[in-house]
Amino acid sequence: MLIMNDVSKVYPGGSVALQDVNVHIEPGEFVFVVGPSGAGKSTFIKMLFREVLPTTGSIFVNGMDILALSPKEIPFMRRQLGIIFQDYRLLPDRTVFENVAFAMQVIEAPHRKIRRQVNNVLDLVGLRHRSNAYPNELSGGEQQRIAIARAIVNDPVFVIADEPTGNLDPETSWDIMEIFKEINSAGTTIVMATHDKDVVDAMGKRVIAIEQGRIVRDEKEGAYGYEI
Amino acid sequence: MRFSTKQYFIKETYKSIRRNGFMSFASISTVAVSLLVLGMFLMIFLNTNNLAQYLENQVQISVYMQDSATDKELASVKDKLTKMPGVVKVTQVNKQQALERFKKRLGDQEQLLNSLGKENPFPNSFEVQVDNPDRIKVLTPQIGQLPKVETAKFGQEVVEHLFQLTKILRLGGIVLVVFLAMATLFIISNTIRLTVFARRKEVIIMKYVGATDWFIRWPFLLEGMTLGFFGAVVAFVLINSIYASLLDRIHATLAFLPLLPTSPLLLYVDLFLLAAGTGIGALGSYISLRKFLRV
Repeated sequence: MLIMNDVSKVYPGGSVALQDVNVHIEPGEFVFVVGPSGAGKSTFIKMLFREVLPTTGSIFVNGMDILALSPKEIPFMRRQLGIIFQDYRLLPDRTVFENVAFAMQVIEAPHRKIRRQVNNVLDLVGLRHRSNAYPNELSGGEQQRIAIARAIVNDPVFVIADEPTGNLDPETSWDIMEIFKEINSAGTTIVMATHDKDVVDAMGKRVIAIEQGRIVRDEKEGAYGYEI
Repeated sequence: MRFSTKQYFIKETYKSIRRNGFMSFASISTVAVSLLVLGMFLMIFLNTNNLAQYLENQVQISVYMQDSATDKELASVKDKLTKMPGVVKVTQVNKQQALERFKKRLGDQEQLLNSLGKENPFPNSFEVQVDNPDRIKVLTPQIGQLPKVETAKFGQEVVEHLFQLTKILRLGGIVLVVFLAMATLFIISNTIRLTVFARRKEVIIMKYVGATDWFIRWPFLLEGMTLGFFGAVVAFVLINSIYASLLDRIHATLAFLPLLPTSPLLLYVDLFLLAAGTGIGALGSYISLRKFLRV
């Protein structure tokens, strides 16, 4: 469960990014967060993994009040999340396998489990045959698939994606969305900020629209709803 | 901590030190130079202290007689000295013996004495040995009161000067140590800052996937400690060989100087330098990480 109660965010300098946001996201949901640039989507997403703290209001991730966490508890809260960025954020000096394994090494998973699990997720994203390649040898779509593999390798409860297809062409975007669908169908909750109208309209999932820091629309089987 | 995690840390540390080749070298050199100076200072300090203590424990009073004292008067003073409490032994040194002794000490430069002609400037004297250094301060003025005694003294002035010197050395040492430690800290934390900067992407990803702060910190701390450790090794190898050869030379020419032998002194100094180098390395890393980890 992801819950935001009366969340507002005012950045230093006075610009209001979010205002009175109330959201409940149930386990297993697939939620798109849409809206024009600068509407507050990014702030919304970043609050979920505690990179941005709200000015007022409360946020619960899986029952944890993430604002009340001590610095020591934050890493363990993040382990329940898989985070995916528009720019992939892979480590250029490590192979595909090492990039994915890295996420398990830092939480001190046992060696054997790392090997098995990394191969599993690389199979899932269809790139096991590129295990020994370096990120700069891969296309953008492939790199994003590696980033997804890294995000899910620790079996997170939630996957949070910030414009994951923002740098990709439409066809590649569809491949990526297929992977997200598959992850979602295995029970993982997905929250995704996106600009991709076609994708949102075709998927028929829940859509939360944010404009000028407020939620203006929250529909169970929504559409993008903006003209581009 | 898992074994595989330790392996991972060591691998990361090694990679990072190699990647920052030049800065790593510069850090090790700085640590080495700082600790070398520190170590030498420590040796000088310990030796001066030792010398002062050695002299303080010399349980001997020198009693110089007036030239007008007759043999009979000398005998009576000797008798009185012998009967004083705590006196173990009284040795009489006549003028001729004193001269001979001085000649011997001059060695090759004996001809310097020729300028004296037939004159013998040395007085008759007694060397009074007591059982306990504490008695010296009480006995010396009493002896000074005896008839025909010119002066009675023990190494007091020398000892006091030496203690003053060790005090100054100690003070100067503290200032020097603080200064060197800060310079070393600065260099190491700078090196680690470069490392952290080179790996900032990695650190951010580590944070996102839920690495604990200590997991992120360890490789950097190890890097700083390794640099400090190797700097200390360089410093103590140099100090050991410098001190050993210095001892050889001094023993050959100034055998009476009571210098501390290499063992166990060097062992302690080496351990101290290793601890200091490694500690400064860890602290330097910790300082440059503190700001960075607040993501």
